[in-house]
Amino acid sequence: MTSHGDDALSSRTGAPGGDDRLSEDRSLLQQRLAVRELLDTEVSYLHVLQLCASDIRSRLQQLPQGDLDVLFSNIDDIIKVNSRLLHDLQETASREEEQVQLIGNTFLEFQEELEQVYKVYCASYEQALLLVETYRKEPELQREIQGIIEAVLPQAGPSGLSFLLVIPLQRITKYPLLLQKILENTLPDASAYAVLQRATSALQDVVTNINEYKRRKEVASKYTKVEPLSLRERLARINTHTLSKKTTRLSQLLKQEAGLVPRTEDKEFDDLEEKFHWVSLCVTELKSNVAAYLDNLEAFLRFRPQDYNLEIPGGPVVQYCYLARDLQLQAFPEFKQQLEAQVWQPLCSLAKALAGPQNLIKKRLDKLLDFERVEEKLLEVGSMTYEEEAARHTYQALNSLLVAELPQFNQLAMRWLSQILCAFVTLQRDLAKQVLQRAEDSLAQLPHHHLSEPAFRKLVEDALGQTSHQLRAFQENFEKVLPPPTTQPLLPGAERQVQALLSRYGPGKLYQVTSNISGAGTLDLTLPRGHIVALLQNKDTKGNSSRWLVDTGGHRGYVPAGKLEVYHVVPTEEELRGQARPHKDSQHQTPEPTSAPVPSVPTVTQVVAVYPFVARSSHEVSLQAGQWVTVLEAHDKKGNPEWSLVEVNGQRGYVPSSFLARAPSPAPWGWSLPS
Amino acid sequence: MSWIPFKIGQPKKQIVPKTVERDFEREYGKLQQLEEQTKRLQKDMRKSTDADLAMSKSAVKISLDLLSNPLCEQDQDFLNMVTALDTAMKRMDAFNQEKVNQIQKTVIEPLKKFGSVFPSLNMAVKRREQALQDYRRLQAKVEKYEEKEKTGPVLAKLHQAREELRPVRDDFEAKNKQLLDEMPRFYNSRLDYFQPSFESLIRAQVVYYSEMHKIFGDLTQQLDQPGCPDEQRERENEARLSELRALSIVADD
Repeated sequence: MTSHGDDALSSRTGAPGGDDRLSEDRSLLQQRLAVRELLDTEVSYLHVLQLCASDIRSRLQQLPQGDLDVLFSNIDDIIKVNSRLLHDLQETASREEEQVQLIGNTFLEFQEELEQVYKVYCASYEQALLLVETYRKEPELQREIQGIIEAVLPQAGPSGLSFLLVIPLQRITKYPLLLQKILENTLPDASAYAVLQRATSALQDVVTNINEYKRRKEVASKYTKVEPLSLRERLARINTHTLSKKTTRLSQLLKQEAGLVPRTEDKEFDDLEEKFHWVSLCVTELKSNVAAYLDNLEAFLRFRPQDYNLEIPGGPVVQYCYLARDLQLQAFPEFKQQLEAQVWQPLCSLAKALAGPQNLIKKRLDKLLDFERVEEKLLEVGSMTYEEEAARHTYQALNSLLVAELPQFNQLAMRWLSQILCAFVTLQRDLAKQVLQRAEDSLAQLPHHHLSEPAFRKLVEDALGQTSHQLRAFQENFEKVLPPPTTQPLLPGAERQVQALLSRYGPGKLYQVTSNISGAGTLDLTLPRGHIVALLQNKDTKGNSSRWLVDTGGHRGYVPAGKLEVYHVVPTEEELRGQARPHKDSQHQTPEPTSAPVPSVPTVTQVVAVYPFVARSSHEVSLQAGQWVTVLEAHDKKGNPEWSLVEVNGQRGYVPSSFLARAPSPAPWGWSLPS
Repeated sequence: MSWIPFKIGQPKKQIVPKTVERDFEREYGKLQQLEEQTKRLQKDMRKSTDADLAMSKSAVKISLDLLSNPLCEQDQDFLNMVTALDTAMKRMDAFNQEKVNQIQKTVIEPLKKFGSVFPSLNMAVKRREQALQDYRRLQAKVEKYEEKEKTGPVLAKLHQAREELRPVRDDFEAKNKQLLDEMPRFYNSRLDYFQPSFESLIRAQVVYYSEMHKIFGDLTQQLDQPGCPDEQRERENEARLSELRALSIVADD
């Protein structure tokens, strides 16, 4: 290439009027030099990159891998792209005529890739610098790093690491300048010019885009996070600056609401925001519904009916217990676990991811109000402060960021949501399969497994009907109350009294005293338990129905109704009784004559004398307690039942009837003591 | 003449043989155990079916809420998926209700009926106990009189006491015999009684889960998402998350 230039120079001295050609030649020379510079610098740039990526990075052992990733970012990708770029550029060297044009074309081809690969590096550069700062604070570490770098690249100088890390940034911004230099020295009418021009502006765009990208990232990271602030912290943040910002925004909003100021309508953004809003709603609703489902599942698994023991050794009951235990220990817990891992966790992550965009949207609105006010001011005044300029830029950055990325977000979120729902469905199917397998095994061992479902249901219905009857029978059996034992037996002599009352009043009116009654007033009776009375009136003169008027057979008076129980006459040798005469209170023991005629029924029975009796006249006979006597007549000559004619010890005489008791006599009927 | 108040003592004679008493205790004990278990089983079964219904209802809510989201109007594919899901959920809920009804009819109701016999049994046992107490008391009384000197009044009282004792003893014997006969029969009836219920319970599960398998199987086919193993799904989820995180607007945490 230089030979041309030499030729040009040598020809210069020769021809007069060669000024135009002189400058042309000079341009050409410059062009050549510029091209040379481009290629040479590219070679050394790549060389340095490779040293960094391999030698230096591998020797920085003491730094954690995470740090190295941040420091060197995607340097490997850059090396790849730039290697290919260099290769293509070097190829152009062989085609002298068209070299410049080819260079232009090459850069146009690589434009996209360069942007992609360098924007990543640039975005993480800030963070890398922070790391370098932290290293600098540790002298020991700093010395080591410096040592390594100096060993490999002594030209890095004292600021070693930061010097190296900024190199890619410098390079990418250099390209437009290098191309510009070539362009300046190219004839405008050359075919290469247009291409080169396009390439130069293309690379300029690359740089602009990278800056824009970086700015968006910064803005995003500033506003996506919502720090959980306590009230105190929030209050502390309020200062005049923030207050004035907020009041300004509020007034702007109010002006918009009132229609005083046109609102910036951005349909495109509004649609995007709406869709995002629906996506958020979908995610949050689904998340809470799945949470409820999992809670219910947990509650369901808490109940273990199979744990109760009916002491039934075999058959369907045991089958069921095995099945239920199996399901509860294996199938269901597995299902729950999978649900949590494949449905719940992803939903949580997705829900968390919503926070970033939500904050940005909110911030954008705030900034929009600022922006609108600034626009207004610009119209009125024609200028704006630095702060206002910054606010304008922030809004624009936020807006463009959201417009660029919200559609992607929506789409990705929807795709993920669909996958999660599919997972849910698949898990349900798998659970069903698991349960079905086990249940069908159990079914095969049941007695009626061959029956169709409707047939079986009928069978069960019938069986349950039958057993229901059986149970009712059991219940009735247990409820059967056997008749209570007969009420207290009577006092001696009372049987006759009962007969007297019975014949006088009838069976329905007889009552037995259930517990001792002590009379208080003059008309109240004192009666022992077991005594039989006949009811005269079931209330007293004052109308008190708990005080009844009764006849004891000798006395009349009042007794508490609660101590009386209906007396069912127990027939005991009734045929012996026939007396209807009312019987005086058995306390009286002296015989009293009565006027009423009494049919006497001749009775001959064995009785036991209960009390001793001393005969006071020749008509009477003495008794000893416990002595067996034969009753010849149960009344005296006048028919008085209070006296009985008995025979005892060969003697005959009268004794008080109440001194005699009926005892189960071992002697057959008609037996009498030998006289 | 008023009764002389009489102290209730214990009879000397062992009126109920030890073996009989032991048998009674054993049989009654088994039944008390059974009562407890059936009561708790019934309660647990009911709570379990309630929880089952709740679960099904919350599944239906999932698809219902999805269906009401405006996204369905915009995105046809989403709408199709959600509609299919909703149909499936509703059908499953219907089958679940049927399953629960069947369980209610063939397991819970019978358990309740079985349990309702126990109060009557317990009352009968109480009455026997009461009769036994009376029997003991009167027996002691008779024995007391039998030991005393045989005077007239004593004999009279003895006679009295014997008269009282007889019906009470007969009553107790009758009650005792009845229970000793009926209790084992009732206890054994549980074997035949519960087998149909539990058979029905198993069958109800089979019916339900067959439907569930079919419905969700069809749905997975329809959604055109092959079932993939757990690890693959995990990787998928990781991938989706990284995609989102790659966006600047998504906060890193």
